[in-house]
Amino acid sequence: MRVMTSRARAAIFAPIGDEGRAARVESRLAEAIRSGVLAHGERLPSEPELAQMLGVATVTAREALVALRAKGLVVTTRGRGGGSFVQGPESACLVEDRLAAMSRVEMRDRATVYLVVLTGCAEIAAERTDADEVEDLRDLLIPLNVSDVARWRSADSELYLSVAALTQSARMTREVVRQEAEFGALLRIPLNEPGFREATATRHQELVEALASGDAVRARESVREHVTHSLERLAEIHEAVRR
Amino acid sequence: MSPLDCVAQVEEHFGPIVTHLELVRGEVAALFEAGPLTTASLRERLEPGVLAFLRNPDLVGSGFVVAPDVLSDRRLSLVWWQGEDRDFLADADAPATGEAIDYTRLPWYRTAQRTGELTLVGPYVDFVCTDEYVMTTTMPVYVQGRMIGVAGADTLVETLETMLLPGLREAGATLVNGHGKVIVSADPQLATGAPLTTARDMIPCRDLPLSVALS
Repeated sequence: MRVMTSRARAAIFAPIGDEGRAARVESRLAEAIRSGVLAHGERLPSEPELAQMLGVATVTAREALVALRAKGLVVTTRGRGGGSFVQGPESACLVEDRLAAMSRVEMRDRATVYLVVLTGCAEIAAERTDADEVEDLRDLLIPLNVSDVARWRSADSELYLSVAALTQSARMTREVVRQEAEFGALLRIPLNEPGFREATATRHQELVEALASGDAVRARESVREHVTHSLERLAEIHEAVRR
Repeated sequence: MSPLDCVAQVEEHFGPIVTHLELVRGEVAALFEAGPLTTASLRERLEPGVLAFLRNPDLVGSGFVVAPDVLSDRRLSLVWWQGEDRDFLADADAPATGEAIDYTRLPWYRTAQRTGELTLVGPYVDFVCTDEYVMTTTMPVYVQGRMIGVAGADTLVETLETMLLPGLREAGATLVNGHGKVIVSADPQLATGAPLTTARDMIPCRDLPLSVALS
């Protein structure tokens, strides 16, 4: 388990004052979890300990934990060895664990569903996208000199979600949300490689231009190329982690 | 029902929304003028009014979305209630990655910011708040010339269909948005979201970027 720096820890557990107590405890811990300062799986201090460190009443700490639990950012187990544990956003390392646990057959199986859904969305969206919507998509494209991998990954996911939304189908969009979380996260592993980012940027650009000109065939093709290329790279990574 | 009756029905739905948003605009501006606010205190002050407004079952959600760095405890926040249980939202995370979504890029925020006026966006699939096919009404709120956020309300397209289709059928008319896209039509072949391509006579709805197109 990753141990966070003592300075970051001290800042998180510094006394918090009295107003809006539970919400502030909640928001401080939530931000720490989302940003990864508190690592996935890390055990939080007990309610009384937390209350003392933050300078709030135990009931306030409890209230904040209830809210964090409701948001899925903390899980609490009972009994010996129990307590509240950080449930962070899936880290790159966890995604790779998921890949490592997957057979080739399962990977191809999931990739096929992802490919069919996403290419279908691009094709339908091309028939329904207007100029304003194209501008919104252009805003999601990231300049190549950006090296923040997390930003690339979230922009990639948001681009495909936005394309799904352009089908005007709420059910399709919810399906793509599921696909992005289940398999999209794996296909975005290689975005930590500059060369892969460059190829991705080109295809994103192509996709947006195809949607802009209402070219359904080209929109479909650019998503297909993107998924195929990502899968080729993912297969290599899969081989490396499975061997 | 005549096309003019259809226009009146549209105004009957959106009119009270605009009135409520103006009310929230005044309330929020006064709160921020009085001093810095946290998400919790803003939520506490707005909750009774918004929940009373949301007793109208024709609305799916409503609230106030803050501009970046306006609250003292959070950069972005949706002080928003939605769904059947009128749940409180607070954060908007990208559904697939869990990263916070920067909603200031989204049309319902950006257009209100750019025009400084009442904005009606949609029909569109909203994957930030409702995960549904909606129309969003927003109104920017300013304090001393600085935009501090937008007050807003969502209506499901399905609600508009149930509400307006019988009248539109009788009138043989189509409700379109400001971009000429179909919202609800008497013509079963005209899908919501599709552009109305043939030229028709249009009756605009008062103060709203909506029109009833005649066949």
